[in-house]
Amino acid sequence: MRTRGLALALSILLAALGVQRGEAAGAPALFAAAQARAGRAVFEHKCAMCHGRRLQGLSGPALKGPLFASRKAGYTVRDIFLFLSVNMPAYAPGSLSAEQYVSVMSFLLQQNGFPAGRVALTAQAAATSTVALRYHGPAGRRGQHDRRASDCAAPGARAPSAGRTAPRRCKPLAAGAAGSARRVDAARSRPGAPERLR
Amino acid sequence: MTIIHVFSRRRLWPLALLAATLAPAAALAAGYPQVTGARLAAAATDNGWLMFRRDYAGNSYAPFRQIDTANVKDLRLVWSYRSHLKEGYEGTPIVNGDYMFITTPKDHVIALNAVTGKVLWKYEKSLAGVALKTVCCDVVNRGVALYGNDVYLATLDNYVVALNAETGRVVWQRQIKPADVGYAMTLAPMTLKGMVIVGESGGEYGARDFIVALDARTGRELWRRYTIPAPGHLGGNTWPKGMYKHGGGSAWITGTYDPSTNTLFWGVGNPGPWLAKLRPGKNLFTDSLLALHPRSGKIKWYYQYTPHDSWDYDGVNTPVITNLRYHGRQYRAVVEANRNGWFYAIDRLNGKLIYAVRFTRATSVAGFRNGKPYTDNALRPTLTKQVFTCPSFLGGKNWWPISVDPLTHMAYVPTIHTCMTMKGAPTFYKAGLPYLGETFKVVHDPDDRNWGALQAINLDTGGQAWDHESALPWDAGAMSTAGGVVFSGSARGHLYAFDARTGRVLWRSPQLSSGIIAPPSTYIVDGKQYVAILAGWGGGTPIWGGQMVESVSNIPRGGHLYVFALP
Repeated sequence: MRTRGLALALSILLAALGVQRGEAAGAPALFAAAQARAGRAVFEHKCAMCHGRRLQGLSGPALKGPLFASRKAGYTVRDIFLFLSVNMPAYAPGSLSAEQYVSVMSFLLQQNGFPAGRVALTAQAAATSTVALRYHGPAGRRGQHDRRASDCAAPGARAPSAGRTAPRRCKPLAAGAAGSARRVDAARSRPGAPERLR
Repeated sequence: MTIIHVFSRRRLWPLALLAATLAPAAALAAGYPQVTGARLAAAATDNGWLMFRRDYAGNSYAPFRQIDTANVKDLRLVWSYRSHLKEGYEGTPIVNGDYMFITTPKDHVIALNAVTGKVLWKYEKSLAGVALKTVCCDVVNRGVALYGNDVYLATLDNYVVALNAETGRVVWQRQIKPADVGYAMTLAPMTLKGMVIVGESGGEYGARDFIVALDARTGRELWRRYTIPAPGHLGGNTWPKGMYKHGGGSAWITGTYDPSTNTLFWGVGNPGPWLAKLRPGKNLFTDSLLALHPRSGKIKWYYQYTPHDSWDYDGVNTPVITNLRYHGRQYRAVVEANRNGWFYAIDRLNGKLIYAVRFTRATSVAGFRNGKPYTDNALRPTLTKQVFTCPSFLGGKNWWPISVDPLTHMAYVPTIHTCMTMKGAPTFYKAGLPYLGETFKVVHDPDDRNWGALQAINLDTGGQAWDHESALPWDAGAMSTAGGVVFSGSARGHLYAFDARTGRVLWRSPQLSSGIIAPPSTYIVDGKQYVAILAGWGGGTPIWGGQMVESVSNIPRGGHLYVFALP
């Protein structure tokens, strides 16, 4: 009992320090922080319309979290980078620069709980990396905690694989946004809306 | 009149209340009208809208005359229902008696009173634990099927779910494949002879797809027809060794059924990976029409629309059963406006081609010899060669179903005018990841600055009868009625009513809250005809549309069911 209590206390302490168990277990630093920042900007412009600004998935799949980067799926960094750099964005595959693809990959790693390091990710490294792409908890430890709805598991979702921090339960993504009457008004008053009733 | 008047909830309230009060007590007491095999066989003349394309023949033609060419301009909104989900709405409202069933993205089913819009129940398939990683073209659902007292749904995580039509309670559910490993379902199931029949998607993810029939009462599997044959089976020698295991061949659009020949027709999608160089051979039965024995799933015959496809030309466009007269000879035909840009008429007794005509610019499939298509091999991409060809992989038409009107003897065809650049690219198979092997970009047809059209094709000649051009793509299904009116919706969010003979626009709804990618349906309750349509932009175009994406990027999102009737 005492051992278990100590472990619990330790894990609470580690969580308070923003250290995820997965990272403690060795999620490697594969990219530089500036790359992830640049990647976010590219992502928002080129990818978010399908995958969601918070990577939560819209018409395209979610790109973060225990369901995306699961042990079962068994993705490596290489798998995702090769697909990303050859076939995304779907409306214009291969249209980004190598640097942009690498930055988006860095952003995806960051959002899946990989830590930033001192060495920048290169296209060559990403295309050959056999590091397992697993969800290591919410992105941005050390005071940048980015707790949003996409950092959570839907009710009933299985916890991520053993040794990982269980995600918190979701709040509805669009809580409060579903007031239909309000949205009708918003749509109606959209400035410059083409072809209104004549 | 302004849109505010039309869509104000306050204005609708009294109307809805009045309708609810006036709803005949007898009809309510009678409860849910059972959907028998006999009713499904006669669905074409039913007052409801009992299945995906209204009847087994897939005509999407209603013999209703109340709304006609003279009065359609007087259509008014009767009620509407808004959903909170923002992805694409591709479902057809299904109606039995005064029960309506609609589906939303992510596999929700909502039962409503078809006269008042009152919500009777809601069912939400739990997708917890599902990553939706192998759904190519938006997390859509195309509607339900009915049989007995049940409502059937096919889901993104590969369940077939039977719900009680009156309560929404799950009667049974059965998962036919695991989720997220290449397979998903978006189609409306078909109920036939006590079976519920569905087909799997996954042509972009290295699936080996299939059509499966389950016992409608229990969910027990009765037969499974793989669309990609294993070695030793018919067509198995059209694949390089081992490649059939990830050969695609999705069956993602509901089939049709011909009682006169007892044949189930089902379209099959593209081969995987997309780059044909990687899989020498005809790659049966991809991009084909399958004629099946409905009791066993055995193949009677097949017709391959695009051999050895390298352009993602799915042959899953609804095959419509109709009769036609061509060069003085009468045929029992099955017709289809194919993804590859050709309109096919095929003899449904033996699978022989009657005719094929281009309905949009089509260069990859260059022509026909002895009733079989041949391709322009110069337009096949390789790892080092980029090609420019038409139509784009989104097709001359995508899944949006045509309608066939037996009075005008025309097919009404939603059309897109696109071409594309395409080049080979490295790929590898891994469960849960796309398996393409090509890069591409959808661009304008050099001779047509419009992205879309709704056009009418004369079934007896294959010639164009009329054409309504659209600057934006035309991504919605068509419906025709005996009142001489063709209905379909635009990307800008207007439900259109066309004169079936001339294509003249007779009426256009006020702009709805989003663009339309769904087919309409129509039904009669207590002697009054209604027209229902789901607005809710999304689907494949905004994801894969290349140059088209910009033109549709400002279309507002969100789902909204609208029901119209005459005052």
